[in-house]
Amino acid sequence: MRFQEVEIRKLSETTWEIPQGNGMRVPGLIFASEKMMEDILRDEAVRQVMNVAHLPGILKYSIGMPDIHWGYGFPIGGVAAMDAREGVVSPGGVGYDINCGVRLLRSELTVDALRPKLRELVSALHREVPSGVGSTGFIRLTAQDEEKVLVEGSRWAASRGLASAEDIACTESGGKLPGADPDAVSAVAKKRGRDQLGTLGSGNHFLEIDEVVEVFDEEAARAFGLFPGQATVLIHSGSRGLGYQVCDDYLVTMADYMRRNAIHLPDRQLACAHIRSPEGKRYLSALAAAANYAFANRQILAHQARETFLRFLGMGPNDLGMRLVYDCGHNNAKFEEHEVDGEKRSVLVHRKGATRCFPAGNAEIPESYRHVGQPVLIPGDMGNASYVLAGSPEAMRSSFGSTCHGAGRRMSRTKARGSMRGKSVIQEMEKRGVIVVCASHKTLAEEIPEAYKDVSEVVGVVHDAGIAKRVARLRPVAVVKG
Amino acid sequence: MIEVRGEDLPQLFSSCILALFSLLVDRRTVREAEARSAEVTGDTVEEQFFSLLREVFLLFAVHKFLARTAHVRIEGKRVMLTVTGEPLDSSRHTVLREIKAVTAHAMVVERSLGGYLARFVVDV
Repeated sequence: MRFQEVEIRKLSETTWEIPQGNGMRVPGLIFASEKMMEDILRDEAVRQVMNVAHLPGILKYSIGMPDIHWGYGFPIGGVAAMDAREGVVSPGGVGYDINCGVRLLRSELTVDALRPKLRELVSALHREVPSGVGSTGFIRLTAQDEEKVLVEGSRWAASRGLASAEDIACTESGGKLPGADPDAVSAVAKKRGRDQLGTLGSGNHFLEIDEVVEVFDEEAARAFGLFPGQATVLIHSGSRGLGYQVCDDYLVTMADYMRRNAIHLPDRQLACAHIRSPEGKRYLSALAAAANYAFANRQILAHQARETFLRFLGMGPNDLGMRLVYDCGHNNAKFEEHEVDGEKRSVLVHRKGATRCFPAGNAEIPESYRHVGQPVLIPGDMGNASYVLAGSPEAMRSSFGSTCHGAGRRMSRTKARGSMRGKSVIQEMEKRGVIVVCASHKTLAEEIPEAYKDVSEVVGVVHDAGIAKRVARLRPVAVVKG
Repeated sequence: MIEVRGEDLPQLFSSCILALFSLLVDRRTVREAEARSAEVTGDTVEEQFFSLLREVFLLFAVHKFLARTAHVRIEGKRVMLTVTGEPLDSSRHTVLREIKAVTAHAMVVERSLGGYLARFVVDV
């Protein structure tokens, strides 16, 4: 296959190599089926994989996942691991929504048992869980409280009775990234975040009730507490205005760093600084702080959802059994140990629209899941499916312990809106058996299922490539969209 | 991608500011109740433009201020801005979309037939 002047080499049924050339420090590697690759080549994302390969200190490959699509600087669905001593950190390699991610709650209820009350329940969730543009949370943070959130993440929520010890244990990195420094976060960023904690936001963020419709791996599903017919809650949100502003602030800082250090890259949105430079260290401190805000945000959203279920159904917590399966981010840069050229090295793994995916036995995985691998949550679109996967050893060998993060957009927001002109998204979704409530009909039209790739195909590729294994398929039955 | 044309740079920049606020709200619902001023600097026209749009966006993102009109003056490296408008009032204003940031991606300010043209992209 060709991308403009470049011949792309098929390595296997699920992997494609972009040869190293023209200033690239490493080759590119894309996980995709042949059919998906034809679509991917129509997008500028392949060019972006090549651009990322120019970054100083990048190791092995600039990687694209099957849900890859165009993003600012880095593609969304991109992974780049940098040598921790010689490499760079790039805010564009994380994205504006720092530590945007997904959390899955399970319950002891079946969707069949919930169905008669589902419409009222989703309306209650829409009322109780703040969503939409400009929404504010029920938590009023003082400046001092906000600084604690930035340092403590989900643990701050636990200190306020909004999280259990089990919630903390089942959150990636225990819901708290080390090294967070509130002083590295600008006053403007803090102001943008102060009244948004515990809000879903808008765009592709959502809260939905799903039904477990298929189990592929019984042992892993049992470990994660999942069973067919079960009602679960999936939440997708991030670091809100605070994270957006941290990214924006440091893109400017790093553009200046690049000018001063004569670093030349093909796209200015790849702005970066050496990890060991003062600018790089400061960004990493701000990144950790924003990531902690995102962990706390999703924890509070989950608390609100849980409380709403309890109140609405008039049940006790043990009968409802709404426990956290896992919370994982998909926009982050984290220091990890990986094998490179036969030796263990400390690397900074940028995942922008990609999920950490550690295999069984890894000490970072909660003890109760350690024998099956890290839970990986892959939201699809609101009409079809989402998936629960588990980490696998192959991901450590070929993708720096990373896999896909979702279905991946294949239609622009404008095009999606245009395709629904004169039609009701809510009615279309009702025909598919999905109840939708939303803050904005305009945003909803941008999120139609047709705007996304087929998540089953995306998951099929990562499963076949061995960089994650299928555990269960979920089907949305009720959706709250921001 | 937003594309804007203007007779000269001050007019182009003013129109871009209004385009940005039109993405956020129906500007016809915004009253000219008060004025806000800002100043940015830049070594190049593109730097001035990017700094100006970032500053203007923060008027909304941080101060919840909506602009109805914009007036830009350029003196060397300095760009002075005055907007008129009012603070967001959720009983009268519907915010149309959440904008994360004004990006530098594919940002262009160039001479065009009979004036200037600018392109910019916001992340939503």
